Amino acid sequence: MSEKYIIQIKNLTKIFGDGVEIKALDDVGLNIEQGEFMAIMGPSGSGKSTLLNQIGILDTPTSGTILLDGVDVTKMSDKQRSVTRNKQLGFIFQYHHLLPDFNALENVMMPLLINGVKRSEARKTASKMLEEVGLGDRMKHRPNQLSGGQNQRVAIARALVNKPSIVIGDEPTGNLDSKASDNIYELLRRLNREHNQTFILVTHDKRMAAKTDRTIQLVDGKICEDSRNGNDD
Amino acid sequence: MYELFIALRHLTSRRRQTIFSVLAVGLAVMLLMWSQAVMVGFTDEMYSKTVDTMMPHVTVEPQEGEDYIHLYRNLIEDINKIDGVIGISPLLVGAATFEYKGKNKNVVMRGIRVEDHDSVMFINDNIIEGSFRDLEVSPNSVVVGDALAEKLDVEIGDTIDASFPEANPTNLKVVGIYNSRTPMDETLAFTSLSTVQDFLDVSNVVTTILVRGDDRERAQEISEEIDTLGYPASGWKETNPEIIQTLKIEGTSNAITLGLIIIIASFGIVSTLFMSVMEKTKEIGMLMAMGVSRRSIMRIFVMESSILGLLGGLLGVTLGAALALYMGSYDYGFEVMAGISSIPFVVRIQDAVIIVLFTFLINLIAGIYPASRASKLKPVEAIGRD
Repeated sequence: MSEKYIIQIKNLTKIFGDGVEIKALDDVGLNIEQGEFMAIMGPSGSGKSTLLNQIGILDTPTSGTILLDGVDVTKMSDKQRSVTRNKQLGFIFQYHHLLPDFNALENVMMPLLINGVKRSEARKTASKMLEEVGLGDRMKHRPNQLSGGQNQRVAIARALVNKPSIVIGDEPTGNLDSKASDNIYELLRRLNREHNQTFILVTHDKRMAAKTDRTIQLVDGKICEDSRNGNDD
Repeated sequence: MYELFIALRHLTSRRRQTIFSVLAVGLAVMLLMWSQAVMVGFTDEMYSKTVDTMMPHVTVEPQEGEDYIHLYRNLIEDINKIDGVIGISPLLVGAATFEYKGKNKNVVMRGIRVEDHDSVMFINDNIIEGSFRDLEVSPNSVVVGDALAEKLDVEIGDTIDASFPEANPTNLKVVGIYNSRTPMDETLAFTSLSTVQDFLDVSNVVTTILVRGDDRERAQEISEEIDTLGYPASGWKETNPEIIQTLKIEGTSNAITLGLIIIIASFGIVSTLFMSVMEKTKEIGMLMAMGVSRRSIMRIFVMESSILGLLGGLLGVTLGAALALYMGSYDYGFEVMAGISSIPFVVRIQDAVIIVLFTFLINLIAGIYPASRASKLKPVEAIGRD
């Protein structure tokens, strides 16, 4: 057991359904290092999103263990899971899932407020984060006043504002054209290098996957390929 | 308190639903506030028409086993020392048969001291002919009710024969006729204390002492103090339990009806909230992903319904009070109730506070169910990808 792994997954199995059982994850084992920038690929229904939800503790496994920073999250209470999601994890989804009633700045402030940070301080940190993703001039806009790419940038700022050690992206560029998609990728890559955060991205986009450090292929709930891409700096 | 921040933003974003929810609760509360003001006003009016004029606050009776209060002058002096007492009237009551030109009627003769009795029962207000004062000027005189006068066909100046077994028959000259608008007008005749004493062949005794205090709510206090002087005394609430009973039943049924209206209005809030929970399913999932605990999700939605309840309560109480005050100051130009031409609304702060608290609590409770539904969503399913 090495200390360098920020995520350690052992014998992880997830079975869905009552009556007809579907094995979405089948005895998966995986170790991920701090600062890795990795992609999970696979055909639809292969269990990529299920694996991501398990790492993000949005769901509970049928069996097996997940250690985040050495702590078994499968044994946590609801309160502990909430705190862990808030402080250690950042989520970016295909659709931005911003809160529609709040403007960009308030959306990015939200994880800080949930964490108990004072409003004035949260505002300062959140606006710095928005500037970092290139939206310093759009802070007072609501999601319906921003483009898809801009909203996705806000969502990224929100995912990163609490300085989580792990950032999870479920097709973060899946809803964008290739130019916007490249921009988002560049942004994620830059943030990964600057803050040494671990990025785990589910993607269909081979071009994008090729640019990561490591790619995992999932088929029928099993890891069938785990390759280094030689993009490491 | 980011939960409050989120709850308030939800309410201000759904402006139309918020306004209608607040209005629905507000109107129900307005009705309750208004009707409470009527209730309190009429109760007050009823008390001032009955307790404050037609009945003594405290009635003192002879000691156990006695027919009369013997040393009543000393007792009156002692009662007079009690704080809050403003009128004391000793009475000697006896039954009699009145006869005039072949017509007769059984009556109750009440021997009084006119000044004292007026200070407790305000009898001078009811006189329609002659005067009570003459009772003390001319011996063997009587004041009868207008109904009794009609029955016996007597007028001022006529002389009635009064008799009763074991009593000294006597003649009584009619010196006044009163009208109290009660059934007593047919059976109660007033004479001087000494006239009844002679009639019953007793001296220096009375059967009852009536007392009035400066405030009807102090009656109990006064009667307890008289009890300690050794004479059984009872306040008007004890001697007229039916008044309290009637008001209690009316007030309770009123409160139940209107409370139900508020509960129904709050159901409107529950359904709005359910819709909002369904609309916001993805948002709730995302909040959970950001680290909002189930308890906090619950808190956000309960806060929303409580805030709606509080706003509705405040709006309703304000409207209800304003309406009551406006209608209360309006002169209808005709008699709404015996002797009054405006509706006696009484708006009390404590009613407003209780109503607002009640509405707030009802809505807080009403919010729990949709809120708990929201908090039980599974984050993965709520966000609902693929």
